[in-house]
Amino acid sequence: MPEPDVAAGTGSASGRSADGEPAGSVDVAAGGAPAVVLAPADAAALGGAADVAPALVRRSGRLGVPGKVAIAWLVFVVAAAVLAPVLPLDDPNATEGSLARQGPGTDGHLLGGDGLGRDLLSRLVWGARSSLLLGVGAVAIGIVGGGTLGLLAGYYRRRIGTFLVGLFDTLLSFPALILALTLVTVFATGEGTSSTRRMVVLILALGVVSIPLLGRIARATTLTWSQREFVMAAKAMGQRDRSIMIGEVLPNVLPAMFSLALLSIAIVIVAEGGLSVLGVGVMLPTPSWGNIIAEGRSDLRDAAHIVMFPTIVIFLTVLALNYLGDVVRARFDVRESAL
Amino acid sequence: MRVIAGRLLHLVVVLFFVTLFVALLTSMLPGDPVDAIAGFASPEQKDALRTDLGLDDPVWVQYGRWMGDFVTGDLGGYYSVTGERPVWDRVSEALPVSLQLMVEAQVLALIFAIPLGVFTAYRAGSRFDRTTGATLFGLLAIPNFALALVLAYYVGVQLGWLPVSGYVAPSDDLLEHFRRMAMPAISLAVGQVAVYMRLLRSDMIATLQEDFITMAKAKGLPPWHVLWRHALRPSSLTLLTVAGLNVGTLIGGAVVVEVIFSLPGMGLLLGEAINARQYIALQSLIAIIAVGYVLINFLVDVLYAVLDPRIRHART
Amino acid sequence: MVGRVSGLRRVRRPVGVVALALALVAAACGGGGDDGGDGGSASGDGEAGEPTPGGRVVYGLEAETTDGWCLPEAQLAISGIMVTDAIYDTLTRPNAEGEAEPWLAETVESNDDYTEWTIGLREGVTFHDGTDLTAEVVKNNLDAYRGAYPTRSPLLFTFVFDNVAAVDVVDPLTVRVTMNEPWVSFDSYLYSSGRLGMMAQAQLDDTESCAENLIGTGPFVLEDWTPNQSLTASKNPDYWATDAAGNQLPYLDEIEFRPIVESSQRLNALQSGEVNAIHTSDPEMVDELRSLDEEGTVTNVESVEFGEVSYTMLNASKPPFDNVLARQALAYAFEFDEYNEIIGRGILTRASGPFAPGNIGHLEETDYPQYDPERAEELVAQYEEETGDELSFSYTTTQAEATVAAGQVIKEQLGEIGVEMEIVTVDQSTQIDTAISGDFQAIGWRNHPGGDPDQQYVWWESSYPTNFGRINDPEIDDLLNQGRVTPDADERREIYETLNRRFAEQVWNLWAYYTLWSVGTAPDVHGVPGEGPTSEEPFPGLATGHLVSYMWVEE
Repeated sequence: MPEPDVAAGTGSASGRSADGEPAGSVDVAAGGAPAVVLAPADAAALGGAADVAPALVRRSGRLGVPGKVAIAWLVFVVAAAVLAPVLPLDDPNATEGSLARQGPGTDGHLLGGDGLGRDLLSRLVWGARSSLLLGVGAVAIGIVGGGTLGLLAGYYRRRIGTFLVGLFDTLLSFPALILALTLVTVFATGEGTSSTRRMVVLILALGVVSIPLLGRIARATTLTWSQREFVMAAKAMGQRDRSIMIGEVLPNVLPAMFSLALLSIAIVIVAEGGLSVLGVGVMLPTPSWGNIIAEGRSDLRDAAHIVMFPTIVIFLTVLALNYLGDVVRARFDVRESAL
Repeated sequence: MRVIAGRLLHLVVVLFFVTLFVALLTSMLPGDPVDAIAGFASPEQKDALRTDLGLDDPVWVQYGRWMGDFVTGDLGGYYSVTGERPVWDRVSEALPVSLQLMVEAQVLALIFAIPLGVFTAYRAGSRFDRTTGATLFGLLAIPNFALALVLAYYVGVQLGWLPVSGYVAPSDDLLEHFRRMAMPAISLAVGQVAVYMRLLRSDMIATLQEDFITMAKAKGLPPWHVLWRHALRPSSLTLLTVAGLNVGTLIGGAVVVEVIFSLPGMGLLLGEAINARQYIALQSLIAIIAVGYVLINFLVDVLYAVLDPRIRHART
Repeated sequence: MVGRVSGLRRVRRPVGVVALALALVAAACGGGGDDGGDGGSASGDGEAGEPTPGGRVVYGLEAETTDGWCLPEAQLAISGIMVTDAIYDTLTRPNAEGEAEPWLAETVESNDDYTEWTIGLREGVTFHDGTDLTAEVVKNNLDAYRGAYPTRSPLLFTFVFDNVAAVDVVDPLTVRVTMNEPWVSFDSYLYSSGRLGMMAQAQLDDTESCAENLIGTGPFVLEDWTPNQSLTASKNPDYWATDAAGNQLPYLDEIEFRPIVESSQRLNALQSGEVNAIHTSDPEMVDELRSLDEEGTVTNVESVEFGEVSYTMLNASKPPFDNVLARQALAYAFEFDEYNEIIGRGILTRASGPFAPGNIGHLEETDYPQYDPERAEELVAQYEEETGDELSFSYTTTQAEATVAAGQVIKEQLGEIGVEMEIVTVDQSTQIDTAISGDFQAIGWRNHPGGDPDQQYVWWESSYPTNFGRINDPEIDDLLNQGRVTPDADERREIYETLNRRFAEQVWNLWAYYTLWSVGTAPDVHGVPGEGPTSEEPFPGLATGHLVSYMWVEE
């Protein structure tokens, strides 16, 4: 992902566990770049304090108002995306000279027209399909790929672990945007590239870029959890590694990855805009929130609404995903909030 | 020490795989440099040029040649019809620009993230906390290029406060340098503030539950003293780790911002190299970034160990 | 230069010899033609008063010339030519009518049958390194361009000057160029849009850093070049040229060129005062410049004369565009007005042929199809009946945002008549390759900048590999060959106008519009486009840059 703030996942609190002991250790010697261990609570705290969640989820388990609004927005967006073909919308690709760059409300077009005179509302709704598909798809790859590799890396600390950390580092030291650009240029440009193919390659490319980041979180969490007593006990009792990993460790790793994953969806959606600026985003005329912004950037002077509306939509979606993350975290979090 | 040796080995291995990966990937790019530099030459001339430039050789031979040069400090040259154009010349100019941009963007992000992180940790669960967190995350939603152009137009043209493009080295004119870097750095920093703030916040919250904080409060120390003097330092390690790492990974990722503000940095070079299929230059550029990334990682580890006594002692 | 051609002979370049980037080389000057007064005149910055010496211009360019300025080998675009115009001089340059006149040279004359051209040099001209401009150096330059000089290996120019048999020094100030075949418009090739600068011996012989070691005779001396940042050049105190009133050129003390790729940023920089001159062909920016000019905050000088034509090049060697019905259908389906509104912001001038206003062969109206969707549908139906195939095709374009946008509009317009168009994007470095290999059905293209129409020979003559559109039209071949050897101005004009009409009839290409270039300056900066080689009236074209030596800043 181009915004390597997601690398935030690599480190976190100086390893304090719920019981207040310094449970952390830095795995410098193992050759891993800061494999700072996350105490599970802190891993969960990443991206949002656990104690915020109670405001959203009362002890009784009901959602507060902001939470409800957030969920509502997400439902709305997803519904719009899914239902786009049957909604009474204008053709998102139909260009009309008189609509070019016209502001909201012109001629019954609620959000106005884009640079080529296409109905902006329609493009935003259809764009939701591309952007959400891309975001969820890429991050899913990141979770599955990164999660698996991270789990393995954290569980088998020695050789496999070192190797996998090296792999993560290799991918991370490649500037993310450039990697995505190169992958798309190689696999999805030129004659015969269909819109679908470009989308598939984009999902894969951005997925590949997400893997090391999510993988490191997974590894960090796994490291802590695999040192816990119950895991030791299970091993001692002869339980197989695989079932331990899946049964005991994974359920604790997933929540930690989850909040970062939600954040990543937002980042992928925005990153596709950057790729569109470089010419390798979602293939036009198919809209995505990112490429609408990219296309609209040259019209900022006299038609700023073209950039503004998709930005607002992404903004609200990010907020909603954020709250969603908090809610989920609240369910899994053990700690009290106290100050 | 064994640690240093281990890290060096790690660096070498990562470098090898990254550059091998680049070589493979770029060999699959459609077109080749000869088309870019001699587009209209006859097929015979192009073939001759290809042989001259060693592009006929198989990928692993070209790669070996590049690696051989690189480890002796030779970054190779740009393919051109005549005359060598050393990659080093371009890199030596571009690298400082990118580093300055990255560092300044991070510092800017931290300037905002630290106080916000401290305060929202102190007032965790309050409306301020929630609103700030939500807003900052929302800022992530703004693509940096869109923000860049908006800033350039409103701040640069309409208000006329800052220059909209170009680069001035700090050694030439420090004030001008910062005036020109301000908007690019802001465009990059905005997305980082949210994450840094959250990192600090969660660490701070945990720290604030420690015994020694309770003690300090019991002693009657004022809250700000407790927060800034006692709680901040041990909570800031992760934040600094990540900020340091981001300096490395941001280089090259800032290509769009560099293009918009005409900053002659590494991102721009990378974009050029890909477009013109300058394989050697591309290899060298990415190798340098990879080296930088791993080195910074290493430094951050060391710093971490130095700053946090528990970690130093834990390694026994 | 009136001569008689002893017998009409087909002037051919050997088959198999690829004539190179003549698009890039195609000179912006002509060999006789009518006054470029049609459409889109260069609104010159006329009544500004007497030029005041001193001052500095910072010029925002649209791109960096990363490969540098080793002129025989360089593939310069307009940004590169702007710099070349500042540091070097060409032997000839165009006057207000687009005809080549001597510039660095004092005289350029041919013999009666155009097989021998003699170049007489001025006395006392020196290069920036102090060496003299002699016939020897000029000979070496010309040899370098044609690939006959040891240290230089040009790829483009070798074929342009393939017809040159020998270059000889007659005396210290005279060079004679002998041709294999008669060459009526050789003098315009000595300009080549400003690319054929004369380099000092030291730069010619520089095998290491020719691209950065710019030494010319021009109005400015290179001071420093930091790629992607700036190129600065200072006034040449010994410059040989004066303006029409006799004032010493250049007026400016210093010129700085800054590449600012993002075009809205280039305009921002002009408005904020960081640069005081920019150029652009982006419709949004041109539109903006016009408004700002009305407000009085900038001065806008624009021109469509002698410009390039933007068009869709069709591959006539394979379906569907081997069939004239398909070609015509697309032409009738193109709604220019809507296109102009959306993409062009209303600034574009419709093209009905390849020759922009000012050029020989330009016609205001040919019979090129006008927007008529019913007719288009009829033709589509006819095509489908005749061939049994549905009319659909792929349109290749670069990834540049503007061209992709244009492609989308066209796609939509064609969709309305039932023709499906697939947009294929390739990046810049593979686009030319695609054209050369013929791996396309339709490709977005721009070419044929103003200049002697003979320079378009290699794009359209059926046997040439540079005929990317694979046009195989005996009538066009015939006209091209006639035009090549006809010296009479009126006859030539007729020939090329007939050629223009033939294009309209056969629709070998889908002409869209003539590119409009605009130079925006701060209100106190003047001198665009400057003056002609021997008179105050300048060559009005801006599509291949302009001389910065005429620019000046108010006191």
